[in-house]
Amino acid sequence: MVYLATCKENCSIRSISEATGISGGYLEQLMIPLRRAKLVVAERGVQGGYRIARSGISCHDVLNASEGDFRPVPCKDCEHTEACKTHQIWSMLQSVVVDYSKQVFIEDLASHLVEHEVGGGI
Amino acid sequence: MKISTRGRYGLRLLVDLAEHQSEGPVALSHVAHRQELSEKYLQQVALLLTRGGFLNSIKGAGGGYQLKDSPEKIFIYDVLTLLEGYISFEETTQGQESVIERVIRLHFYQKLDQEVRKVFEKVSLAEVTKAEWFTYMI
Repeated sequence: MVYLATCKENCSIRSISEATGISGGYLEQLMIPLRRAKLVVAERGVQGGYRIARSGISCHDVLNASEGDFRPVPCKDCEHTEACKTHQIWSMLQSVVVDYSKQVFIEDLASHLVEHEVGGGI
Repeated sequence: MKISTRGRYGLRLLVDLAEHQSEGPVALSHVAHRQELSEKYLQQVALLLTRGGFLNSIKGAGGGYQLKDSPEKIFIYDVLTLLEGYISFEETTQGQESVIERVIRLHFYQKLDQEVRKVFEKVSLAEVTKAEWFTYMI
């Protein structure tokens, strides 16, 4: 996503793969939930490829889309929730992580790449 | 980062011990019963926490485990760091790190770790036990 944010035009899987070091096959898989979440747009044809759908996409948007439901602690709907005091620690961890990742936008991260001109954009 | 069962059970053990500290050394079988956790697994976690300086192990009849410090002086961040090895989203990639990976690591994961640390360094076991620490919620 950070790479796509630096691109002015549609990017092929191959160019994304070269820039990120992620294999083409895996990128194809990653694109499915990202497209479903309307974070990336895919276009067919000669000039086709992928591009970032809009500005203002946060890290949370991306993680939530690609991880399904982004949570660092796997306790949800546990039978002990009411009585478990530690559960509150985990919900606090969850909110710290979610709140922070909502504040960091893909274009912020991409702006750190400008000097390297990864995709030639921004 | 995912918090493992070790981290979660370890914290439940500490909370249980804090709640029953007036009773003297607490047998793990009691904790296991109250918390519905496996005693065998609790033994492993208790050993780690003892070595890490959070618990005292008292041998013999009437023996068990006790908190080494008062719950006010035990901080959740330290406990989790011991049990989990580290509390971090930051991943070090094997081999060459790409420019994009570095930017994401430095400007997102590393800062996220700092946020988590900032909050959890302040939360003591006493606050968790009393469930008063919600005041720290941002």
